[in-house]
Amino acid sequence: MTDSIAIIGSGIICALGTDKGQVRDSLLENRTGIGELHYLKSCHKELPVGEVKMSDAELKQALAVPATEEVSRTALLGAYALRQALADTHLSPQSLQGKRITLISGTTVGGTDATEQYSCANNTQAIARIVGIDCQQSTISTACSSALNAIILGTRMLQGDETDIVIAGGTEALSLFHLNGFNSLMILDHDVCRPFDATRQGLNLGEGAAYLVLQRTSEACMQKSNIQAYITGWGNRCDAYHQTATSENGEGAFLAMTDALQMANLKAKDIDYVNAHGTGTPDNDKSESTALRRVFGEEMPLVSSTKSFTGHTTSASGSIEAVICLIAMQNRFVPANYGWNNSTPECITPVALPTQKELHHVLCNSFGFGGNDSSLVISDREKPFCSIPTCKCTFVGENEVTQEEELKELRTYISPMESRRMCKIMKAAFLTSMRALEKAGITAPDAIIIATKYGMLENGQRILSTIHEQGEESISPTLFMQSTHNTLAGALAIHLGCHGYNITYSQGEESLQWALRDAQRLICEGKANNVLVGLHNEMPPQLLYSKSIIVKKV
Amino acid sequence: MEDLILELKEKIIEVLNLEELTPEDIDPKAPLFGAGGLGLDSIDALELIVLLEKSYGIRLASAAEGKNIFTSVENIAQYVSQNRKK
Repeated sequence: MTDSIAIIGSGIICALGTDKGQVRDSLLENRTGIGELHYLKSCHKELPVGEVKMSDAELKQALAVPATEEVSRTALLGAYALRQALADTHLSPQSLQGKRITLISGTTVGGTDATEQYSCANNTQAIARIVGIDCQQSTISTACSSALNAIILGTRMLQGDETDIVIAGGTEALSLFHLNGFNSLMILDHDVCRPFDATRQGLNLGEGAAYLVLQRTSEACMQKSNIQAYITGWGNRCDAYHQTATSENGEGAFLAMTDALQMANLKAKDIDYVNAHGTGTPDNDKSESTALRRVFGEEMPLVSSTKSFTGHTTSASGSIEAVICLIAMQNRFVPANYGWNNSTPECITPVALPTQKELHHVLCNSFGFGGNDSSLVISDREKPFCSIPTCKCTFVGENEVTQEEELKELRTYISPMESRRMCKIMKAAFLTSMRALEKAGITAPDAIIIATKYGMLENGQRILSTIHEQGEESISPTLFMQSTHNTLAGALAIHLGCHGYNITYSQGEESLQWALRDAQRLICEGKANNVLVGLHNEMPPQLLYSKSIIVKKV
Repeated sequence: MEDLILELKEKIIEVLNLEELTPEDIDPKAPLFGAGGLGLDSIDALELIVLLEKSYGIRLASAAEGKNIFTSVENIAQYVSQNRKK
């Protein structure tokens, strides 16, 4: 039996506007949403940002959340976009009755707080509560590619008949944490960013949220859902090169795009538009250009980065840009690469002005720290898939570490120079992973899936207390680049040279369950024969828990 | 200058977590980055930029500027002694 995956609703809130209409108008009129910092209280007035032009109080009022209730801005933005996406489907509450609904949200900083109250999973829970939907929930945290990976997971769960309706995307509000963190990496432009331009100096941060509502086409047709487009291909790969920098040849990006095209059964010339990751940093744009040239060669489609409109909305960028692709398809135009003026041989030449064009197939790129590179193909026609066969898996090499004492044994596997920046939880993750692989007789796994409740809590806490005690500008770049939840998965991929599927789940106590399910799913899909799965939790000063296991096809 | 060189070596070991090294292990004239030296990388360079600002009040405008300064401990010491604000 074949079926396909339809997009039946979408919602967006970002610096360009608070709904799809406003975002469309800004893009068509070539107006950027980036400007001076206004809502976030920070000393960095010199750094332009793409803020959502609503205060927390206004967001609460719009969502009927009591003014006194403590809700993170990340959750408020998420709820705002999600409510819009649901309304956009025109599905009545009755037609949702009895359906298995799954909400998959991507968040990182929203969960990098020192308190349990703001874990990634709790943001997702808050969003569902505010909007009032009863559903299964999962939270993905692969830094800046989180939201695109949420959409990819939703697509796969529908293919495997694990759920009936998926709401997938991501949300992230600006914070002192990542504004200062990115600043410590010296990759923030002090003017409006210019992706792919010869004079580009870095990125501008932005904020926002966006969600897609997905359904199997057969059911969407039966229910007379309003089908807006189809998801026809995806790729999730790891650059396995550096925690924050991108590889010279853009390997991870190249593999993700190639996988996505292959799955959609499309050739390079079939793609009408690429919404690039294009952050505006010298590194990313050069590396992405190399990857684009490797994929498309002489048949380069129209390319633009819309981050000079929205700012880099980090964890939300994947879904914000997927919705921008959808807006572009529905209104037959290619958004400009705002601010681009000067060509350079090291970069592709993007679209300088909004351009009218019929779009049949678009490719959306989203890359993150840790080399988490993902690509998605959105099409105006179906791409049938066959149902996923079931298969048998077995667990091997299971082992765990709970005592700090044991971490000394890491020396057997890792040189002191390599381990010098590793915090406790990373040392534990490496130790259990190496032991699991050794026991299973595997040198490098096909894929890496990590589960973590709070992520890199110790590093996060150290950053927050530094901001509190020494002021905004004293953040250590090493701590910041190792503060995202996907730090462990990325570092393991780099060490093991694993360019395969790579993802991090942060869904509270259920994180490991989601990770193991995904490993099995990946093996059934034929995308891996063995997967390194780990559960790594820390709660300084006492708790240290690390368990690794190899999931293998029987 | 000798005192400053020793102080820098100690700070570098501390900030970059070079636990295995003592100040005597670092040749002040040897390259800090790449092969044939300590083998530091771009993230270490960012940490050194933070170190200059915190300890000596020197603020560099870009990571590229750091490249010319962080060639060796001796070179950093020279730069610090000429530009320090504290």
